[in-house]
Amino acid sequence: MLMGDLEPGPLRLGRQQFPPEQRLVMAIVNRTPDSFYRPGVTWDAGAALDQVHAAVAEGADILDVGGVPAKPGPEVTVAEEIRRVVPFVAAVRAAYPDLVISVDTWRHEAARAVCEAGADLLNDTWSGWDPLVADVAAEFGAGLVCTHVGTLTPRTRPFRPSFTDVMADVLDRVLWLAERAVKAGVDPARIVIDPAHDFGKNTWHSLELTRRLGELTATGWPVLLSASRKDFVGETVGAPVDDRLAGTLAVTAVGAWLGARIFRAHDVRETRQALDMVAAIRGDLPPARAVRGLA
Amino acid sequence: MIVRAALCPSPPLLAREFTGLADVLPSLRDACAAAVADLLAPAPDVVAVVGAGQETATCDPEDRLDLSAYAPGLRVARAPGVPAGAQASPSGAPAADGQAVDPGKPGKPGLPLALGVGALLLDEAGYAGPRVLQAVDEFAPAADCLRLGRDLADAAPRVALLAVGDGSTRRGPTAPGYLDERAAPFDAAVERAVRAGDMPALARLDPDLARDLMATGRAAWQVLAGAMDGTRPSAGIRYADAPFGVAYLVAVLTPHG
Repeated sequence: MLMGDLEPGPLRLGRQQFPPEQRLVMAIVNRTPDSFYRPGVTWDAGAALDQVHAAVAEGADILDVGGVPAKPGPEVTVAEEIRRVVPFVAAVRAAYPDLVISVDTWRHEAARAVCEAGADLLNDTWSGWDPLVADVAAEFGAGLVCTHVGTLTPRTRPFRPSFTDVMADVLDRVLWLAERAVKAGVDPARIVIDPAHDFGKNTWHSLELTRRLGELTATGWPVLLSASRKDFVGETVGAPVDDRLAGTLAVTAVGAWLGARIFRAHDVRETRQALDMVAAIRGDLPPARAVRGLA
Repeated sequence: MIVRAALCPSPPLLAREFTGLADVLPSLRDACAAAVADLLAPAPDVVAVVGAGQETATCDPEDRLDLSAYAPGLRVARAPGVPAGAQASPSGAPAADGQAVDPGKPGKPGLPLALGVGALLLDEAGYAGPRVLQAVDEFAPAADCLRLGRDLADAAPRVALLAVGDGSTRRGPTAPGYLDERAAPFDAAVERAVRAGDMPALARLDPDLARDLMATGRAAWQVLAGAMDGTRPSAGIRYADAPFGVAYLVAVLTPHG
């Protein structure tokens, strides 16, 4: 069931099950002082919880909590990562028993701690750098995101990456990771694949992956699209990070059309609207209220 | 002869599926359902539905409203006789996992809207008995409409007549036909005539004015007037309003004696 053109099935995350035609918004809540977009805005635990309330109210299906920025910078030890993330995950779990909580981490010690605190999904952004993360997912019945970062090590930037065929490289990597996860005992209905735009890629690579996203969704694994305000959007439309929403939503719409199922987003409300619009165009969702020309 | 008659409007939004997640004008839908229930109460031999079309003609009684003409891509599974609400998902939305709408037979034009809505209302009331779907030329002279009505009344000993059509479409600046100051008085006159069971007043409606006001129900109401000619039925008005600038009138008429 790992390779080839599979029929997409339901995705199980936490206590919930999502059919293939349901497009999910994964709201980003960073427990960091230095992430690339609005750095430090949710560094304070109270502010972070407020953002969770807002994201849920705006239609988020999944929360993605991160304690370590992707970009290079001051070291964040495992202990510090746990200190940043675990109490917060516990607080969110207490406030929202059914909300799907994802944690963006690549280290199994942090993965274990957040699973104990109630996390449902391990967003292993650095492509299985630490293979024990999959074992933790299996042990706790959690989900796992299998990503592609090319040749990168965690928290590094791409330097002149090149691929004979970037999509082939992505497919090889994420399918291999998914297979490894299944062998480790992760529930196949809880595995997600992510081409990881920008990670180990230049803008052309990320555009190509967006254009050819259908090849990823055709595998049948649920695809996570993580494009929100990223550099490839900024380079493409020539906009700084604060002005990348329109570009992000364009990527979102194309990705949704091509069958991606999870959309990692800073802007929950706008992403939800864009996804609902695509769903209605596809015929998966009726309009909220249609009266024009029907009276 | 006519044992009972009902008037219902024909906005496409009466089909629950068309308005998306929101239930738009449930009060109008309820009024129509109640009027049709009253219409069917005397157990008629046949229900004749009359509504405006491009020409006067009888339509295939098996035909239904062509949903895809108004909402291509709509996914609903509506079995005949089953109200849309009975199949709604828990969120109140129309079933999103149903089959795409049957596109119908290629090359065959669907029922005129008014007859499609009439057929829908009968289906939703669970009516499975004999029905006649009678289109009347929207611009037919009054005399032709009255004659057609008399013929329909003679179709069986006990005929129930459902006249489907709308009042003016020009009730305000946001109305589909924009504001025409003559619209409100026209609609008020129709309502007055129906409320009084005054068939001659309906017979006197001016086809040219109705055309100006985009009042598509005029011809069907004059068919009704012909069918109930010589009676002064008692009337129950169940809805009379123009929430979107189009006049909707729902009523039930019962002849005396």
